Amino acid sequence: MSQPKEIFVRLDRCVGCHTCKIACSVEHSKSKNLFEAISEQPAPKNRVYVEWVPPDRKVPVLCRHCEDAPCMHACISGAISRTEEGVIITNSDKCIGCWTCVMVCPYGVIGRHLETRKAYRCDRCPDLQVPACVDSCPTQALVYRTVEGFSGDVRQDAAREMISGKGN
Amino acid sequence: MAVKQMQYLIIGASAAGMAAAEAIRKLDSEGSVTVLSDEQDMPYFRPMIPFVISGKKKFSEIMLIGQGPYQGANIDVRLNSRVETVNTADQKVSVKSGEELPYDKLLIATGSVPNIPSDIGGVEAEGVFVLRTIADARAMARRAETAGHAVMLGGGLLNLKAAFALLERGLDVTLIVKSPEILSRLMEPDDTVLIRNALNKAGLKLMTGSSVTRILSDSTGVIGVLLDNGGEIPCQMVCIGKGIRANVEFLDKSGILVDQGVVVDKFTCSNIQNVFAAGDVAVTFDPITGQRIVTGLWTNAAEMGSCAGRNMVGRPSAYSGTFGILNATQVADEPFVSMGIVHTKGTDYETHIAATPKAYRKLVFTPDGTRLIGALFIGDISRAGLYRYIIRERMSVKDIKSDIVNHRLHYGYFLR
Repeated sequence: MSQPKEIFVRLDRCVGCHTCKIACSVEHSKSKNLFEAISEQPAPKNRVYVEWVPPDRKVPVLCRHCEDAPCMHACISGAISRTEEGVIITNSDKCIGCWTCVMVCPYGVIGRHLETRKAYRCDRCPDLQVPACVDSCPTQALVYRTVEGFSGDVRQDAAREMISGKGN
Repeated sequence: MAVKQMQYLIIGASAAGMAAAEAIRKLDSEGSVTVLSDEQDMPYFRPMIPFVISGKKKFSEIMLIGQGPYQGANIDVRLNSRVETVNTADQKVSVKSGEELPYDKLLIATGSVPNIPSDIGGVEAEGVFVLRTIADARAMARRAETAGHAVMLGGGLLNLKAAFALLERGLDVTLIVKSPEILSRLMEPDDTVLIRNALNKAGLKLMTGSSVTRILSDSTGVIGVLLDNGGEIPCQMVCIGKGIRANVEFLDKSGILVDQGVVVDKFTCSNIQNVFAAGDVAVTFDPITGQRIVTGLWTNAAEMGSCAGRNMVGRPSAYSGTFGILNATQVADEPFVSMGIVHTKGTDYETHIAATPKAYRKLVFTPDGTRLIGALFIGDISRAGLYRYIIRERMSVKDIKSDIVNHRLHYGYFLR
């Protein structure tokens, strides 16, 4: 059985360039073109955020599509559901903009379209093979893999470090 | 070895009951899950009924089964089935029709019923409403077709939403509250400026510090209300929103311990074996204060219902309690979130308030300033969930306090 892929964050690789945010906004624009997207109204919104923690750590944050998604259970209008691929989605037609999901999301990654009063978040780019943020990341701080694949990579890296004597 | 098929019986088909049914179904595909509803309509998202009053949504658009986590697979929902008594000795309940239903595990999720103050006369007149069910919403919508002016009694959130629904239909709406401010359960008078402005802009007439002593009516139904100062306001409909109480009358002789609501332990079980309770009908505890509380919130009910469902299947699942206040909504153009302890007048809580013309923030810490216990955001509610997490997990805020106070908090801080 094929496992669904997820977006993983490798904190040690993020340099805080915010390229992912731009790629995300463009992918969620009407034109899907950077130069046109800039002037679109309302402005296209990014769903990945790059936070900064002092003294100098950069943290990309995006919807984790939680297994026991608090937003989905809290939603008072039935607008939030999980697709077969495991992606948590908000149905804009059903969303009434009560912001209960914003109140319960422990990651703070649900945004608000103020103009239309609809909540939005990472949709893992349903039209793309690889989500735009992952595809654009110049340092591969964001990776799109299965849980098994990703943890396998981590083990491999650890093994290599051990052999080379760095990870004692 | 064949395992006996369990019979799960749930009284109440709203948030807690349906969330429990789904949780049971997830863990036990064999047992029978029966949900009894005293309403005539299939389960629906109760907080959405103001949209049926305004006409923005049809009933079919707010139905529950098939949406989000509610898939309803192999869950038997029986309508028009008001439970009259619960016999805990023989483990069965009797329904209004006379039918008796046995159970192995019982969940009481009967929610709450509206309070109707006894000091208001004439409440039985046609055109007086308490908004609780879809049937109430439909009746209000019908009356609103011919009414020109509606008077709302009580300044709680549900009444405000109903008021907006009527405004959207083009009615004049006057909201009368006894307390000096609206939403007094969710914020203090000084906190309400932005919300008040938004209400004024939307055209809602607000009368604070007054109350209605009598509803006046003739053969056409409501024709006005009489105020405590002797004044009279002509109107064609009245909506009473004066709080709720747990719906427990039918448990009188059951032996199930009731104190304001059904008293349950951390595992949502009542004092009687195999009888559980969740949602508005259950007395739960506030993790901040440790006090026992009854809440009236969809979100809490759904969470507690899922938890009860797991316990009924025999997967012990502790309910972590809930804040007495945990509300998010948007009133006209102003979104707000209120959670935890936000009433600080006369207390020694460390309180930080930041007010701008567009946004209002109030953060409440313990008197020694080491823990966050409440937050109120109006206008800008972004990342409110992080604050809820800090309050709920009783996190030490030492290193991030200035970020909390100055709205710079983000998930990155939790990774240190």
